[in-house]
Amino acid sequence: MIGSKRKGLGVITTAAIATSALLISAIPAHAEVGVSSSEIKLGITVPQTGPAATGYNKVAPAMKAYFAYVNANGGVNGRKINLIIKDDKYIPQEAINMTNELILKDKVMAIVGALGTANNLAVASKVQIASRGVPSLFVNTGYSGFADKKKFPTTFALFPSYAMEAKAIAAYLKENLPTAKTCVLLQNDDFGADAAAGFKTGGVTFTETVKYVSGTQSSATGQTWIGKFATAKCEVVVLFGVGTANAIALGVAAAGGYKPQWILGSVGSDVTTIKATLNNPQATALMNGAIGASWAPDSADLTDEYAKQFREINTTYNAGAVFDNNVMVGMSEGLLIVQALRAAGTNPTRKSLIAAIEKKGSTFASAGYSALGYSATSHVGQTGFWFGKYNLAGELKSVDGKYTMYTTDSAAGPVVKTEQKRLPMPAKGLPSN
Amino acid sequence: MKNLMSKKNKVIAFLASTSLVTMTMVALPSAARAADPSCTDLVVITQCVGATTDGAGYVVQVPAKFTGTLFLFSHGYRYPVDIPAGIPLVGGYKVVSSPQPAPGGGAAQITEVATAMLGKGYAVAGSGFVTQGWNADSGLKTNVELIGILKKKFPKITKVVAWGESLGGFITQGLAEKYPTLIDAAAPLCMAAGSVEAELTMGGDALWGLKTFFDPTLVGGNYAAGAAGYAQAMGDIVKVLTIAGTLQAAIAANPTAPAWPATSKVPDSIKAIPSRSALVLVGVMSGIPTQSAHFDNSTGPGDPTATAYVSYASAISPALGTLENIAQAAILGVLATYDVELQAGGAIFDNTKTDYAARLGSDLYTYGSALSGLDAASGMLAYLSPLNPAAPRAVGNPNAMAKMRTLLTHTGKINVPTIAMGATADPITPAGNVQWLADRAAEQLTASRSAAKAAYLTSGSYTKPASNFMTIWQKTPAKYSKYTATGSPDTTPAGANGTGHCNTTTKQYLAIADLAYAAANTGQLVVGGKLLTTLRKAGGLSYDPGFKASLLKFYN
Repeated sequence: MIGSKRKGLGVITTAAIATSALLISAIPAHAEVGVSSSEIKLGITVPQTGPAATGYNKVAPAMKAYFAYVNANGGVNGRKINLIIKDDKYIPQEAINMTNELILKDKVMAIVGALGTANNLAVASKVQIASRGVPSLFVNTGYSGFADKKKFPTTFALFPSYAMEAKAIAAYLKENLPTAKTCVLLQNDDFGADAAAGFKTGGVTFTETVKYVSGTQSSATGQTWIGKFATAKCEVVVLFGVGTANAIALGVAAAGGYKPQWILGSVGSDVTTIKATLNNPQATALMNGAIGASWAPDSADLTDEYAKQFREINTTYNAGAVFDNNVMVGMSEGLLIVQALRAAGTNPTRKSLIAAIEKKGSTFASAGYSALGYSATSHVGQTGFWFGKYNLAGELKSVDGKYTMYTTDSAAGPVVKTEQKRLPMPAKGLPSN
Repeated sequence: MKNLMSKKNKVIAFLASTSLVTMTMVALPSAARAADPSCTDLVVITQCVGATTDGAGYVVQVPAKFTGTLFLFSHGYRYPVDIPAGIPLVGGYKVVSSPQPAPGGGAAQITEVATAMLGKGYAVAGSGFVTQGWNADSGLKTNVELIGILKKKFPKITKVVAWGESLGGFITQGLAEKYPTLIDAAAPLCMAAGSVEAELTMGGDALWGLKTFFDPTLVGGNYAAGAAGYAQAMGDIVKVLTIAGTLQAAIAANPTAPAWPATSKVPDSIKAIPSRSALVLVGVMSGIPTQSAHFDNSTGPGDPTATAYVSYASAISPALGTLENIAQAAILGVLATYDVELQAGGAIFDNTKTDYAARLGSDLYTYGSALSGLDAASGMLAYLSPLNPAAPRAVGNPNAMAKMRTLLTHTGKINVPTIAMGATADPITPAGNVQWLADRAAEQLTASRSAAKAAYLTSGSYTKPASNFMTIWQKTPAKYSKYTATGSPDTTPAGANGTGHCNTTTKQYLAIADLAYAAANTGQLVVGGKLLTTLRKAGGLSYDPGFKASLLKFYN
């Protein structure tokens, strides 16, 4: 009898242990901030209103629309993505305020697609997202510094840097316009400084360099810029400003009959911004014949599988927003974010999210034509540009029809021309990694 | 630092009459009777006054329903010299050494805080310290003696909480480091931390920047001996205020491109840059916050979608915030530099090797608009270069600097449960002070946890060491600037939470007191829901262990 009692206790004990183990395995080991059984909360700060909002205010709604599409198709491992959009008006202190709200009040798991170098630097310094362990995924800026894992260990770049773009443009100029008198418009901040460093590395000497302070661009200042370019008899002018500045330059030049060969940087070539800045729906005609650099397909390219899929999603989920490059950026970031969340495991944490991008990020499908550079030691995203020519509608068409990529780094590495290559768009735009 | 304003001298008035109890001022006993406090038993409290052997007066008030916990308060920096009438803002100040038993921004609030604490059953006490100015060493000595006197007089004292504001916070931490057995908990508030050198470097940088850009006749340090040095220091206060007033008027007249003061000798190439940008550069490179009592850096007047609104928030508001802060910081810089030079015997500020570009760091981009762009900032930094003979650097006296470094310095060791409170936009003791202490505390916690894990490997038992330190932050609201109907900034409202120096509400003081009381009596910090409830009820306080303020520029 004693023996059987002991046996019975043993069975009960074993069963209890087994039940406990089952219960334990059913409960996430660590409930992460912003992650519940049904939802993943993410946050984004962007200028939704104010002078910098034009064009940029389409990025976050597009990302949200993509998430809505993913949510309608089962979400991420059963969880729906809830994107909270905060308007920072492109004011650094407001970006700090809004990010604090997202992290402390809304308790998001991660910041995604935060826009602007000054704002991201302000947030890094004053909100300390790194020491908090909060991921900042795929920042919407090309400042090369954000790819520095040591300084910004939780931040990941997506765009190729301004320095990379400048080096690519320098290479293009050397190949195609080696003797032309070349000039440049730069923004007098990190954006311009990053680019200036890239042009210098690329060996370009500008006949005239015009810089403007962010926020001072106007018709009056535009007259000054164009006056300087015309006086210097610039045959090629690289407009490496933001969209509003580039638009003003194009508008003033056209009005004055000044017609250099324009080269438009990717930041300032958004047709929505150019049309809105000049308050002229036909303003894209001013871009006609300009050379442009881009890391991803033009949104108007109906043959591109990414653009095509995003356009379809936009039609259903983005309240009739006009599909343009800003929408493409928002959805491209969304696509990467979903893959990152999936790669972070069934119960993603902030740590596992960062680790997943470092480990598997280079294998994520992306609209960009160059390889993604994510690794355990690098937070660099896209690394290359293709060159095209704008048509009357403001669409960028590959100059060689092959989207040859000019890939490089942000430092002194060479510019290498490669064939464009990328992973196919996941079926129906829904990652299954 | 705290207690700089003349209104603070009204502590005596408080001691003469409080709202809760009617007290009779008792003549302070002489030093010879130092250990023999003179007490008056009132209806609900016992009040004693006396002096420690160094002659520093003190007051203690013990409620009839005493919990056994004494709060020993250390007041902040009081000017060490009289200031002639006629000098704006601070003129007419007389050196005062009256004891202060509780924190507060004036007699009324000190009364309110002390009264409420007595009502909670806490005893309150504080010395006036025998000397004013930077008196950390003598203040520490006074407090050590005072604790002994009070424990002897009131055997019911079972726990002692040391707390103090600004320089008093520095003294409080010093007490906790050097005499941990005398106290059971510490609460340094809006504290200076680390060393006097770290604190005065901010003032030195600011004065040197103002001098270099706006008025080369500003002496800014290395004051002459005797009356001549006093006159120089007083003259500097006037000059600092004149610069501030001139810049304020210039910004009001033309916010976009305010003129430079006539006293400025910078070349035209620098004067082509708006003077407000030079002001922001001086503030940011010194570590003075750009957010101030009335300027939030995130709003502007008028339509929030307009370009003017964004430009104001990004470029003008930081300049006005710096202006509002730098006047206070520079006055303290003048007086504290003068004070410590007298103590040390020569110039104690040396920026011959300071790299101001490195001091700016990423702020160069964050404040890009306020600095009028990268080229303008680079141009101004080039003007500040040590290679520019028009911007001579300040040269310290090695002997004086060595002597300054012998003054009380913190190790950052946390020996007793410590609750520090700091404001994110304090212009006198910036948040980097408390952050320095928080960093040291974090290092110790990491080390003790590593040691505990190592011990586990040999002993098999593991007790996770708990943190003995927390920072309670007074953070600025997201938006608080006010504008008049005509779009001018309205500076009449009270300063926003998280701005100003030791700008603390009575509820906030009492919340810290309650947390310190609990820590002293349990040996552990209050955490979790109880902590959050306490902070929520006080308003304007937050516990955010993920937040790390920027350290003082001294550490860059």
